[in-house]
Amino acid sequence: MIGKTATVPAIAAVALLASTAFASAKTVCYVTAADSHAYATPANVALNDRAKELGIEILSLSQNFDVQTGTEQVSTCIARKADGIILWPLDPQAYIPALARAKQANIPAILINSPMAEQANEFIKSFTGPDVYEEGKLAADSLNEAMKGEGAVVVIAGQAGNGTTIGRVGGFVDRLKETGSKIEVLDTVNADFDQQKALVASRDLITRFGDKITGVYANDDTMARGFIDAWKEANAGKPTPPIVGINGQRDAFDSIRSGEMYSTIVQSPVEDGKLAINTMAEILDGKEVNARLPIPLTVVTKANVDSVEPAF
Amino acid sequence: MSAFVSTLLRYRVAVILGLTLLVAAMIVPGFVSLTTLSLGLDRGSTIGLIAIGLTVLLIAGQIDLSVGSVFAVAGIVAVMLQPMLGMGPAAVVGVLAGTAAGIVNGCLVVFLRVNSLVATLATMLIFRSIAHWMTASQPIPGTDIMFSITLSEIYLQVFTVRSGLFLVSILLLHVWLTRTVAGRNLFAVGSNALSAEASGISSDRIMFSSFVFASTLAGVAGVLQSLATNTGSPVYGSELTVAVIAAVVVGGTRLEGGRGSALGTLGGVLTIAALTTAMEFQSVPAYMQQVASGLILILLVVLDRTVRTGGKTRRKRCPRLTLFISNR
Repeated sequence: MIGKTATVPAIAAVALLASTAFASAKTVCYVTAADSHAYATPANVALNDRAKELGIEILSLSQNFDVQTGTEQVSTCIARKADGIILWPLDPQAYIPALARAKQANIPAILINSPMAEQANEFIKSFTGPDVYEEGKLAADSLNEAMKGEGAVVVIAGQAGNGTTIGRVGGFVDRLKETGSKIEVLDTVNADFDQQKALVASRDLITRFGDKITGVYANDDTMARGFIDAWKEANAGKPTPPIVGINGQRDAFDSIRSGEMYSTIVQSPVEDGKLAINTMAEILDGKEVNARLPIPLTVVTKANVDSVEPAF
Repeated sequence: MSAFVSTLLRYRVAVILGLTLLVAAMIVPGFVSLTTLSLGLDRGSTIGLIAIGLTVLLIAGQIDLSVGSVFAVAGIVAVMLQPMLGMGPAAVVGVLAGTAAGIVNGCLVVFLRVNSLVATLATMLIFRSIAHWMTASQPIPGTDIMFSITLSEIYLQVFTVRSGLFLVSILLLHVWLTRTVAGRNLFAVGSNALSAEASGISSDRIMFSSFVFASTLAGVAGVLQSLATNTGSPVYGSELTVAVIAAVVVGGTRLEGGRGSALGTLGGVLTIAALTTAMEFQSVPAYMQQVASGLILILLVVLDRTVRTGGKTRRKRCPRLTLFISNR
């Protein structure tokens, strides 16, 4: 895969900067969102497995969803003289100085999964991952279809300030406006992509709005599950309002089959992880890469649930 | 106990720091470099600046759990006001927001006599909510990303603005604690507020100032962090408080008050920073890093006990310890 001749310039460039010998062994620093998370874990595993195939050593650092830890970890990657940095950003701005420092040190950096603000573009080679804004739009269309264009929804969003959250909520709200839908958003709450937090937040929403809720949009399937559980507690035996999630988890597929959920959008963490490391491998080989490399998205409803593979 | 061992125990923080660095240098490739040093110092300085304030507060026998939230609020204020006031004045107002938070904490503890653990637990939640409320739970970008890059620049191959400020501050704290009357009074208040009062020291005033000082420094750290990342974020600092308390306690400052030192805190901060950096170099998962930090904390606290017991048999009884016991 890695042509020896093609890597010579890259290695030479790195060797010039690195005083120690280990730098030529091609270490890619991977600053991931978290170690244990329904989506992040399979993405991490896929990235690591693919790296092994490519003969790239991965230095894996987990931010555990803490932005500040992450910015410091990028610094560690620079100090460690990594050959490349794959960053899973949790904030659109905060990593920019660290990325600028990486650029100064001639370490190529790419973003995986979540976008950053435009100002980051000059410091990164590429952004690989799903188009989260597009996902928000797809979710809006799907929910609009399920609710026949009217009613009131609650939005269970991810972590505040996270690029994925901003995109998925923004795309959803913009698309509703764009299509002139009469769906009203009752409230948007942050449940940090966490099932337990979503459960607690949903209990509050159900208490506050009760039957007014005729639709639900969750920023991921994990949080959709939290809402379903809260709904069952409060209204045993009553069917759930149409719920749209994102990610395409196996249990969301089951919920779609049983009618608890209306739809989800398949976004494969395995593809996400693989694309990032493949892109980095190309950069290390001295190849030019596209500034934006999306992974495919599929909307799954009862109609096609049996013909699509769940993401994880 | 031989003299050698007791010397080792006295300077246990330095020993642990030395061992951490030695082990890291031996097993972690590429650890020994100026870049590692400068980045390690820079990451330590955020914890360190807050730790300075907390050292003072802990010596006074109080605690502040709200520092992480104050850190976020101060940074948000400094970034939010940038378009209106310009960067410099906005930063000053950010720090003052920290000071104001300290005044709230001080009033609760000194005037309303709320236990500081409870009072600052409450303000921790309140300040954090204020941070979310001010920002509508969104991170706020600053006006000038170039300034952030300047701020993260490394001078003399080792220092950033932040780490320089931290090192200077900790030296000032050292002088203040060991060479001034006010510094000594602080220890007296922490050992036994009533006896201190009886000897003419105003414990209330000292405790109040300590709260203001601690929050102000948390504000400084928060403003610097926001400037360095060009972002005011409501989630900043949520993991900080425990790390800071750990660093201060590793440095030999007692949670019960009356004992602690600036250089100990410096050692504690550097140990935690070195440990984290070394483990990150080896790609040790974050949760394992916490285990290591926890074990070192326990080790040092146990050693601390050993030293005090040693002192008791040799010198009959440590006077401060007596005060502490009678205080309960």
